[in-house]
Order: sequence, then C-alpha cells, then structure tokens
Amino acid sequence: MAKKMVHLVFPQRLIKKPVIYTMAKKYNVIPNIRRANITETVGEVTLELSGTKENLEKGRKYLERQDVKVEPIIGDIVE
Amino acid sequence: MSYVKGLKCRECGREYPKEPLYVCEYCFGPLEAVYDYERIKKKLTKELIESRPENLWRYKELLPLDGEQTCGLNSGFTPLIRARNLEKALGVKELYIKDDSVCHPTLSFKDRVVSVALSKAKEFGFNTVACASTGNLANSVAAQAAVAGLKRYIFIPANLELGKVVGALIYNPILVAVEGNYDQVNRLCSEIATIYKWAFVNINIRPYYAEGSKTYGYEIAEQLGWKAPKHIIVPCAGGSLITKIWKGLKEFKALGLIDRLQTKIYAAQATGCSPIVTAIKENAEIIKPVKPNTIAKSLAIGNPADGVYALATVKETGGWAEDVSDDEIVEAIKLLAVTEGIFTETAGGVTLGVAKKLIEQGRIPKDESIVVSITGNGLKTQEAVVEKIGKPIKIKPNIAHFEESVKI
Repeated sequence: MAKKMVHLVFPQRLIKKPVIYTMAKKYNVIPNIRRANITETVGEVTLELSGTKENLEKGRKYLERQDVKVEPIIGDIVE
Repeated sequence: MSYVKGLKCRECGREYPKEPLYVCEYCFGPLEAVYDYERIKKKLTKELIESRPENLWRYKELLPLDGEQTCGLNSGFTPLIRARNLEKALGVKELYIKDDSVCHPTLSFKDRVVSVALSKAKEFGFNTVACASTGNLANSVAAQAAVAGLKRYIFIPANLELGKVVGALIYNPILVAVEGNYDQVNRLCSEIATIYKWAFVNINIRPYYAEGSKTYGYEIAEQLGWKAPKHIIVPCAGGSLITKIWKGLKEFKALGLIDRLQTKIYAAQATGCSPIVTAIKENAEIIKPVKPNTIAKSLAIGNPADGVYALATVKETGGWAEDVSDDEIVEAIKLLAVTEGIFTETAGGVTLGVAKKLIEQGRIPKDESIVVSITGNGLKTQEAVVEKIGKPIKIKPNIAHFEESVKI
C-alpha cells in the first residue's frame, strides 16, 4: 500500500460534485481528508490517498481529467 | 547556545521537535521554526549586532541553528543604496534599492537561505544535499556545498539550456537532467526527497532554509538606522521571501530593535505567472495554480508553496500587489541600469516595474520611504535583454570614421 499527500484545487463547477468519492470507489483508493477550504469560486482539499501505486496514479489521472488540479502539498519545488 | 524552541505547524499550531521535518503529520500544513524570544531579548542588542562581522550571521540568535554557523560565512549584508537618480526618474522623495544581486557567493538572495540550510544540514549530520532548480538555487547549493565538502545533487528539467546551468556545473555537482515537463520534475523530486535520506534544501530542510530570508528584512531595518521603511516591494515566486521579510521586521519590533513598524508590503509578479497577485486583486483566499509563461524564470512558480502566507502578509500590512508584462520587465531592468548602475535579473525588473506601476497608480505615496528588493544579478539572464539594448557602433580604426559614425 502506497501513500501520497496531495493538494487538490477544484474549479467552481466541480465543487458540488462527489469527485473524490467517485475516484476513490473507481480505483479503490482510500482518501483521508486533513484540511479543506471552499469559497464561492474555488475549493481546495488537502488529503492523504492510500492504495496501490498503479491505482494512485490512475486516481490522479482521473482527477486531472475532471479538471481538478492535483499538486504536491509542498507546492512547486523547482526554484 | 540555541534559541530555537522547535517547529510549529503554521495551520494547526501543533509543535514538533527540531528535526528535518517539513509538514504537519496531522493537517499537512507547513512547519516553521519558533524561537525563545524572551531569552533572545535579553541578549540581542543593536550594539552586539553592530559589533559583529558584516554578514547574515550577525543576527544568528534569530536563525535556526543550535550551534555555530558553518556555511555561507560571507553571505549577506548586501548594500542598501539610496537611489537618487531613480528617485528623480520616478518622481519620489526617498527610494532605496536593497541589492542582493551582489550577495556572495553566487549573486542572488538564495545565498542567504542556502547558507542557513546547509549549516543546518551539517548540524543534522547529512553528508548529501540536493535541490531542484533552474537557476539561482542550483548555483548557490552547488557552490556552498562544494565549500562545505558535501555531496550535492542538482535536478533540472532536461530541456533547460546547458548555458543556464554553467553557474552550477562549475562547482562540480551531480547534475541530473530529468526528462519531462515541469510538473513531472516537481513530482519526481518530491518523491526522491521522501525516499533518500538527503538534505533537500527546499523540502525537508525548508523550515530552516526559509528562515534565512528574514536577514534581508533585518538588514534593511539596520541599514536604515534601525528603522523600518514605509513601503517594501518584494518579488514573489514561492511566496516565502515576502512572508519572511515581514516576520523579520515583526521580530525586530518585538525585540525592541526598531521602535515602530508601519511598513506596507507589496507583492510583485510577472503577468505570465501571477497566482499570488491575482488572488490579492480578487480578494480570494485560495491560490489557483497557473502554468507559467514569462521571461522572469526565477519567479515562474505556478503553484507557490507559501502563496497563502504571502497573501496574508500583504493583507496584514495593508499593502497591495501588481504584475508587469515581459516588456515592462525589460524596461525596468534598463531603467535600473541607466539610473543606478545595477544590472538586475528579470526578477528585479519585475520588482521595479511593479514599484513604478504602484507609484503611478498612487498606491504608494511619493513622499514616503520606499525599498525595492533586487534579488538577483542580470549577468545570469542576459538572454532576456540581449535583443533590446541596442548594438555596438562598429568603426574602422581611424579618427575620420569614428567622427563620422559616432555622434559626439
């Protein structure tokens, strides 16, 4: 079981959709939400995802296909 | 004797010991060094600071080491220049340039943070350091780790022109060029940082590394005669420098080293990569990551780690934010060169361009003290200006041709 800490940024049109749940169910990934913040125009969720490496990668790609930005929690490190 | 108490989560406040940790295991918030200010107050005086050598370690009680510094012994204490020609050009009364384009050894403010990061890495017992960088950070880590006798890995995107990394390669690091786009390089490096027991300066050493930026703020206050200016314009990439300058000034105020603190801090970014400025202008709480597209490569961070804290700094101080186009960046670089004789890199063009804009907008009053942060040297980014500064006048080796060709 691999683990990944990620930061998700949702555009407005996805805020009300169960995107994380769908991804988790589809790829057998366990989400563990640590922090979240929703405003009128954007939502962000910081969470840990557990699953097989392959499923974590599939889950990430799925989220990105839905137009969710999937970022490492430490931000960009190439300075 | 150490004055650092430990690390603390910037989000939930949970405390951690002084270890190479960077993220809160509960809320995944970033960690920050905390100090015993009561004890520092008893020791650190203006006189003590002034009696010390002119480098960033003169403020060592406010830096996160347990022992003595071992790296970057000549970094910092860069000039704060009264920019009288620029004052005239911009129509303002009191303008200063804090010039880190001459910071030692690699000509950018990164020498400050890397000095602290490598000293701390040695204290932790690491023998290998690493970073992912396309420029200034790579130069500084490569150089300072060479001096410190540390093994050094520098990661760059494979499509980066080799010319740009000469400033790192010369110090003989292990240079790893990762094939893939910027996001993939970011992702790989964060994975490498979790697997290998290295001191990755801006990942697992980040809480210590970032503290080095405070010295930029300390120096401004000390060089102004133990006073904080009314306005500081700061370039933003990851957003750390702006938050740390403010932290540094607040510490000076709390320690009684400056009497008053009414400084407004302004964030400067290039229009082609302005997630922090956009959030400030839109009064948003969340930073939306962007894909960078600007000549200001050293500020091209689309997903800034400290973006929300940069935003909070600007709000707390009553400052503002602005962005400038690539053309405006080049114009500002040229303006600084012809007025003050300082050749800055593109980030400096961003800062001065934004300062000019904010002054023209009336956001910064013309009769109050202003500090423009210049954080890197133009010799490193010559390609940004090479086509825009004219050409030499070619003449034959005789007086007649000289007089014919050159207007005197």
